[in-house]
Amino acid sequence: MEMSEKTIRLYGRTLYPGKVTAEALVSTKPLEGFANVNPAKGYTTERNHPLFKVPYTGKVLVYPSARGSGGFLMYGMGGEAKAAAFIHTENCPLNVAAAAAAHIPAMTEFDRDPVSVIATGDTVFVNADVGYIEITKK
Amino acid sequence: MITVKLSDSEKRMLNGESGLVPRLCMEWLVEMCQIAGTDTIIELDGTGDFHTPQTCMTLNYAFTLKDLQEFTATGAKFAIPTFANKSPFNEQSPIHGYKGCDMCSHWGDTIGRFDDDAFHELAMHEDFYKELRKMGMLQTHSCASYLTATYLPTIGQHCSWNESSAVPYCNAVLGARTNIDGSFATCYLGKAPYYDMHVTENRRATVLVKSERLIKSDTEWDVFGFAVGEECGLAVPCLTGTAKPTTTQFCKLNSAMNTGGAVRMYHIPGSTPEAPDISAAFHGLQPVRTVTIDETALRATYDKLNYRTTDKVDMVYLGCPHMNAVELMLLARKLEGKHVKVPLWIMTAPWLYQVARDQGYLATFEAAGAKLFDGTCPAAMGGVPDYVNTIALDSAKQSYYITGCYPDEERKLDVCYGTRDDCIDAALTGTWRGEWK
Repeated sequence: MEMSEKTIRLYGRTLYPGKVTAEALVSTKPLEGFANVNPAKGYTTERNHPLFKVPYTGKVLVYPSARGSGGFLMYGMGGEAKAAAFIHTENCPLNVAAAAAAHIPAMTEFDRDPVSVIATGDTVFVNADVGYIEITKK
Repeated sequence: MITVKLSDSEKRMLNGESGLVPRLCMEWLVEMCQIAGTDTIIELDGTGDFHTPQTCMTLNYAFTLKDLQEFTATGAKFAIPTFANKSPFNEQSPIHGYKGCDMCSHWGDTIGRFDDDAFHELAMHEDFYKELRKMGMLQTHSCASYLTATYLPTIGQHCSWNESSAVPYCNAVLGARTNIDGSFATCYLGKAPYYDMHVTENRRATVLVKSERLIKSDTEWDVFGFAVGEECGLAVPCLTGTAKPTTTQFCKLNSAMNTGGAVRMYHIPGSTPEAPDISAAFHGLQPVRTVTIDETALRATYDKLNYRTTDKVDMVYLGCPHMNAVELMLLARKLEGKHVKVPLWIMTAPWLYQVARDQGYLATFEAAGAKLFDGTCPAAMGGVPDYVNTIALDSAKQSYYITGCYPDEERKLDVCYGTRDDCIDAALTGTWRGEWK
């Protein structure tokens, strides 16, 4: 991790390459797919979830891990309703499937937990081509 | 990105020398390896299953029906025994019993009523299966296709399955090895990315789970599984303090653990093949942490799985995961001479539908006013009939997903969750009387 006056830089592993800058949407709870996501509308429909019906479209979606069905890859579907990038703490094959479906920048396994560093509304530059993210606090 | 190690024949496929479909499969495989962070492809010697009729793993390397027809005309076969997971996408219609399914489909190319013959014919996508059968596909069409497959991978074999409740059955119960990546590509190529549960070290338990209560009933396994999943997340747990699970209970446990968390591998010392004892489960190392699932945790999980404001039940659903033959037998025994007050849906695997008929269970269900379906489930179908505001069921997985189909205030769905006996009682009375015991 590197810090300047304005930004915090975390280094991690790239799942899918690309560069994008967008606002962060952070979930403290794992995300779940299948019937608990609506990819066309771009939000989770899981009951009692902190991001219930909060749109992730165009956001850097930050979350600790995936859980549940192989239908997690539906986070990678939905065309224009997709997130701008996936940033998650711990990786598993569900994230691999979602990154493969989405073809958007995706990173994991950072030198510091992104869920604790990034807050919803922060601006995140994802440079998955090189392997780091840069966070500008709001 | 990682450079994936390729054999000469793999390179030729990637270059398109073997035709369009092999090239798409190899492109997908190489990309999956890169995303997974492995440079190694594992040769599969076990079995595979995937969501049909297309690969459905990703839309990025899809091919047309015409492409598939041209491919099968060359004599192409799946490299490993390959089974169909669940009813055909996207409609996910019941395969048998659909005439009793009084609701509209929610997604797919063709929206229609499940009980309509013309819609059903379209939803079966026979044009695709005609080709897939030529390649060797066995049309089990079940989330629990392993129950009717009659051919299971053996200990240590590398597989490519695709169903969250089935993956732990392959890894933990059978001792075979799979990630959740079953697709047309893995089954045709007989290859998968070598990472996660294919790798011996990753199968080691890291969390020791102790249960305060002796887990022994189906519902206890289901509730316990969800609680363990939420507690363990991606970790491999070693479960202690339980009775020996039955086949039905393994299915409950697997589906619940992989809904509450992403538990794709676990050990039960004395019950699962890679853990003759606790030390073997941890590969001789110490647990990273120890978790106790106490009475408070079980109670809290039971309450979480109940999501209701009323005791008035409009419909009962049983069969998540799909019922095995013994479950059908036991349920028929309980419904003998009874009659339901509200619709009771029973879901099994398509290859057991005829068994249920031959054994007389179907006649018993029909005499009781219950409906037997196969191959799908409400969450997969995208909802329940319009008249249903409260559904009763006995599956943590179904409970937790079905409400996701109804996120809007103007059309909520309540869920009564409990034992199979609670659900049968609700079907016969229209009232929920279940409680945690």
